[in-house]
Amino acid sequence: MKQRIGVYICHCGGNISDYVDVEQLSKLIANEDNVVISKDVMFACSDSNQKEMIQDIQEKQLDAIVVASCSPKLHTHTFRNVALRAGINPYNYVQVNVREQCSWAHSDTPLDATVKAYGLVRAGINRVAYSEALENIEIEAQKAVAVVGAGVAGMRAAIELARLGNSVYLIEKEEQVGGRVAQNGKLFMTGEDGKSLTQRLLNEVKSLSHINLFTKATLEKVSGSIGNFLLDVNVDGNLLKLNVGAVLVTTGFDFYQPAENEYGFGQTQRVITLQEFNQLIENNTNELIIEGRPVKNIAYIYCVGNRQSKGPNKYCSRFCCTAAIHSSVRVHEKFNGIKAFHFYRDIRTYGKQELLYRQSSLNGDVYLKFEEKEPPVIEVDNGYPVVKVKDYLTSKKEIILKADLVVLVTGMVARSDSGQVSEKLKIPIGNDKFFNEIHPKLRPVETVINGVYIGGACQGPKNISESVQSALAGVAKINALLKKGKIALEPIVARVNAEACLWCGKCAEVCEYDAIKPLEMNGKMVAEVNVATCKGCGICAPVCPSDAIEIAEYSNQGIESMIAGFAAEAEIKQSETQHKDEIEHPQVGMKEYPEEWKKILSCFTGEPLTIPQISDKSGLAKELITYHLMTMNRYSIVEPAGLNDEESYYMYKPKNH
Amino acid sequence: MPSVNPNFANEIIKFGAKDFNLCFNCGNCTAICSLSTNDETFPRELIRYSTLGLEDELKSSLKPWLCYYCGECSTDCPRQANPGELMMSLRRWLTAQYDWTGLSGLLYKNLWAYLLAMVAILGAVIGLSYFTGYSQTEVIHIGHLFEMIAIAGVFSFILLPNIIRMWYFTILKPGIKVSINTYAVALKDLFVHMFTQKQFLGCEPTRENKMRWLLHLILVFGYLSLLFTTVFLNWFSTESRFIIWLGYIESAAIFIITFLFIQKRVRKVDAMHKYSQPSDWFFVIWLFLMGFTAFIVRLLIDFQLINNLFWVYVIHLTVLAQWALIIVPFGKWTHFLYRSFAMYFETLILEKAAK
Repeated sequence: MKQRIGVYICHCGGNISDYVDVEQLSKLIANEDNVVISKDVMFACSDSNQKEMIQDIQEKQLDAIVVASCSPKLHTHTFRNVALRAGINPYNYVQVNVREQCSWAHSDTPLDATVKAYGLVRAGINRVAYSEALENIEIEAQKAVAVVGAGVAGMRAAIELARLGNSVYLIEKEEQVGGRVAQNGKLFMTGEDGKSLTQRLLNEVKSLSHINLFTKATLEKVSGSIGNFLLDVNVDGNLLKLNVGAVLVTTGFDFYQPAENEYGFGQTQRVITLQEFNQLIENNTNELIIEGRPVKNIAYIYCVGNRQSKGPNKYCSRFCCTAAIHSSVRVHEKFNGIKAFHFYRDIRTYGKQELLYRQSSLNGDVYLKFEEKEPPVIEVDNGYPVVKVKDYLTSKKEIILKADLVVLVTGMVARSDSGQVSEKLKIPIGNDKFFNEIHPKLRPVETVINGVYIGGACQGPKNISESVQSALAGVAKINALLKKGKIALEPIVARVNAEACLWCGKCAEVCEYDAIKPLEMNGKMVAEVNVATCKGCGICAPVCPSDAIEIAEYSNQGIESMIAGFAAEAEIKQSETQHKDEIEHPQVGMKEYPEEWKKILSCFTGEPLTIPQISDKSGLAKELITYHLMTMNRYSIVEPAGLNDEESYYMYKPKNH
Repeated sequence: MPSVNPNFANEIIKFGAKDFNLCFNCGNCTAICSLSTNDETFPRELIRYSTLGLEDELKSSLKPWLCYYCGECSTDCPRQANPGELMMSLRRWLTAQYDWTGLSGLLYKNLWAYLLAMVAILGAVIGLSYFTGYSQTEVIHIGHLFEMIAIAGVFSFILLPNIIRMWYFTILKPGIKVSINTYAVALKDLFVHMFTQKQFLGCEPTRENKMRWLLHLILVFGYLSLLFTTVFLNWFSTESRFIIWLGYIESAAIFIITFLFIQKRVRKVDAMHKYSQPSDWFFVIWLFLMGFTAFIVRLLIDFQLINNLFWVYVIHLTVLAQWALIIVPFGKWTHFLYRSFAMYFETLILEKAAK
């Protein structure tokens, strides 16, 4: 129980104090139990106030602090740092939101706003009184990694992980490594053979003693958590137990398999997929032969099983345009007199791959465009495919091509066994059945399961470079995680009161992270929380019939005291200055400004500026600048100065101060 | 339903098409062409037909003739697919299609055949002079006679049937039914376009294009009137000062203008002069030689340098015979007729559509 609490109530310029009687509030709060000091401040987040707070904490020997200001999203870390710098535990700090959830929401009824703010602050004080000093949880981590899938991404990742000093278990389901790349002939850009590329990687894998490669191996069972996963691996019938700190999943993808009679597939030997076609190119030397006769005209049909507005595969697979055109260019290099006709929806040979498209055009390849609603129709005439299409580039004229061979350019789909892998490792899968990352832009290789990472095309369609890139990003993340041998985790987790616990198992049932297991203790079964897996979500606490489980920072006592504090009667006087119409903004001195304001103001050198310009100059995020400018404008520190030349942004300039 | 002809691209390349397969269908060429309208979506449409090899569509199209090759489309093509040069090649290809003898196609595609024909005519003229015992008056007489017979023969046996074939491909076969009255009324367009090259002025009115139109027009008039002056006014034998001076002016106009044209083809600055086919060279050089040798022959007569005249005239006659028997019926000369008739037929189609 904290008994020397400091409370700071922020004016936020006028954002709060225009509606909430901050001064009266501060005086009332000073009378609360355990409150040693109560202040109202112009800007709690300003440098000067932070310094003052540290001084207060040290001089008055405060053991906990409450700041009533804006949303905790904005400044929790600011004041946790203040606490830390002043020598108290950061978790002995509570932020109370009296702006977004009070002054802004109740600007029409200032008296009520003040009453509510009073309740909120008292709730905060009670909560902080029950707060505990918490330390980050540190767990030992195994410097070993399991890489699931030995395709190009998996092997490349294994090599790098091993070089960085980690033990690596490379687990491959098939007998051969190399995955899809090994099935390819020459690859675009480098011209290297897929088989020799993967062979080169395999040689490297074998040369590194840190890597244990298991082929014909499948993941049977996964337990444990970040830093200490226990994997049961079935290696060709023998069960192997592995203990690893992290898992990198690089299981890859499946090619879309055309349905029977989809574009004539299965009706004749002369309708094949791009993968079968690539084999055909490799297997023939002087002439491209099918069914004993040379091929002269080839029709490529794009987006097969892809970009279906109604089917399950909604989007583009990225690699197939390039792959098909590359095959077409290969055919031109290797054989003579073959004409190529590409029936496409959109050509997406992005980046350097555009050169390939140009080469194909120079080779005389013909491109015909169709739309999903009017796809080409393939009829079989004497075993030969006849392609009929409405060519959108020839004013939708219906055109016939008698082809010797039709190549179906199929895209990537999630592996048929992705469900099994996802089930074992608890990686969420999307509607497309590919594995999901936490955030596609900001956390692209992490999954919601701590310590489990995804790389390559198991996450979604990728070409080889992109697959390897993402796998190596996973390597960097894993190595950073395991490097110290210890992993620090947030301390806000569930805790079990072993005396009260009767082990009914209800908490374990509701836990989505599998963090609760029974444990025998002093002759009885009790629940045990794995702090490494627990996310502190709190779902277990309310289901416990004997109140034996609670979340750190959110103790029952703490929450109940918050409610009591909020509900307590309050006598608030109608303030004479609390009439909106009469609000006069007090002048604020520069030294009281928050640090961000000073940064923003220092950007202005005469010319008005837009928010992006201020962001460029100050290095602050645009959202933060918008938020501060809002307050500064209200407070007559800056003013709008019209639109910029492109009329895309408002400009601001400082008001004379 | 039209079928793709995978071999057509190779065929049209033999007629001079360059890189048209690089086209990625952006439509810039159509947007920039000042002769292209909402109804006339060339050159893009023709590039597409050529790419796919839709020969029937191409054969029935008058559109290649409506283009006067200002070269804007080629200059502004983001893929350097040379749409202008494709239009030019399609005109050559169409010329070969219209020609019932098939010789046009052979000569366009095969330089050796062209050279062989030219040499054969040179031999024939030399042989002829041998048989006349190198008699000047007789050669000039035969030459004059030849001119009249060649004009009549080439016109009735080659050009007329070919124009009828053009009409068949573009009007009759596509089933465009036009009344006799419309044929008669529209006839004036044939002559307007033949003698004013009005469509040419539809190109972007830059100084260069206006100049090209003017020179082109002077060349047409110079050529036709020189033909008339030599054949019907018998320039080489006349005593009339007026006719003599007329002939000088006409022949000078021809060789000066063609000299400028040759220069442009050598320099290759403008899009339309970048890619010259043998047929272009033969056409422009022989026209130059025609004007020049005619000028020299008359000059020698006027200065009474009779001794040198015989061989000079033989050269002139050779040029003339090669011109009349190869370049006019099977070479580039025919574009003069087909362009005018294309405008005429186009008027018929538009009239029909308007009704």
